[in-house]
Amino acid sequence: MFRFLKNKYFWIVFLVFIISIAVMVSTATTRNNITIVEKFIRNSFTPLQCGMDDLRSNIGGVSLIWADKRILQNQVAELTEENKRLVFDNQALKEYQLEAKRLQRILDFTNDNIDTYDLVAARVIARSPNNWYKNLTINKGADDGVVQGMPVISYEGLVGKVLSVNKNSAQISLVTDREMAVGVIVQENRETNGIAEGMGDNNQLKMINIPYYSNITVGNVIVTSGLSQIYPAGINIGIVDEINREPSGLLLSATIIPTVNFDVLEEVLLIFDYHPIVEVEDD
Amino acid sequence: MRYFVLIFLPFLSIFLQSTFLSFYSIKGAIPNMLLIFVVFYALLNGKRKNAAIYGFLCGLLEDLYIGRFIGINALALGITAFLIASVEGRVFKENLLVGIITVIVGTIINSVILFLLSLISYKLLNLDTGIFINMWYQSLYNLFLAVPIYAWYFHSTKNGLLRMYGEI
Repeated sequence: MFRFLKNKYFWIVFLVFIISIAVMVSTATTRNNITIVEKFIRNSFTPLQCGMDDLRSNIGGVSLIWADKRILQNQVAELTEENKRLVFDNQALKEYQLEAKRLQRILDFTNDNIDTYDLVAARVIARSPNNWYKNLTINKGADDGVVQGMPVISYEGLVGKVLSVNKNSAQISLVTDREMAVGVIVQENRETNGIAEGMGDNNQLKMINIPYYSNITVGNVIVTSGLSQIYPAGINIGIVDEINREPSGLLLSATIIPTVNFDVLEEVLLIFDYHPIVEVEDD
Repeated sequence: MRYFVLIFLPFLSIFLQSTFLSFYSIKGAIPNMLLIFVVFYALLNGKRKNAAIYGFLCGLLEDLYIGRFIGINALALGITAFLIASVEGRVFKENLLVGIITVIVGTIINSVILFLLSLISYKLLNLDTGIFINMWYQSLYNLFLAVPIYAWYFHSTKNGLLRMYGEI
């Protein structure tokens, strides 16, 4: 019955299996450093991926020749209209901004709005090669000053954070990844705190730990609260789509549709100079 | 030359999966070219031991590229290749349908093994059954890719780049 124990192959397979599982479990969480082998593999892919990205954007330019002129004209008209409206909005907001700055100076507040940060644009050159993980590869790396843990946003809202850095590229973990959690707040009432977690398989987020008495409603805008110490406060995350009561009855959870369309994301912005305020604990 | 092609194919599939194919996903599912090549290797070259080693190494490459849960794809692809290679002698390989069915079966086996392995590392325990819904889209996508790839791979194994010269 135990003759298989004498088989050399059985032991080899058994050992490989055990080692693999040990490595798997030890690399399950976010790591601070990646090994030389991984660096080498990723660095060898980077130039190819950059080339593919260039090719894709060039093909996009060529295919525009065949686009219908009427559709394009309509689009231009729509965009001009929207632009006029935005210029008007901007005028009003400029006034508010200056007023806010004046008041902040009087009250000695520090300004931590996103327009005060040093933003660097990067192109998305590759995505996760399988369905399980939600991450992107960008064309800026250690040579350009990218550091692990930097917050990544786009013009629409929060994208994620830098997971690992190579020479000329970096991996970004999207907020929709299962491992990600962001401290968030409802923009309208500024009091409902919660945590937005990635669901992994679809482009949605789940906001948890909302007290049952909160007046959160469908359509509320969710922004970062700045409590996660990774992301600055006030970055758009998404819009509440559905509110559910947790089985315990004490907490609510909400489904959030992100403002960023992660499937078509081509350019992201890295926040280079975000230094979270860390509370120093007294001993 | 044969070894060169066999090493080149996994690199090509990871490159295409991360760039070109990921921009054309169906319901968030992207095809697994790596799996297709491993399955065809197992089906056409037989030898369970070789197939398992090839699958393991291909999976390891993908894992190292991703950099998380290193070993999960290696084990899953190794086991899948081993199981596919077990039926190698009993099927009529000239038929394209055999190639297609093997790819679908391979995708299902691979997803199930990945799911079981993910249960071991508790961090992924919240991985729900969404992976099985995803699996069907992936099989469908793999199927479309499998037709031209099988035609080429089969031809190439018989009298082309991948022909074996009496090696084990």
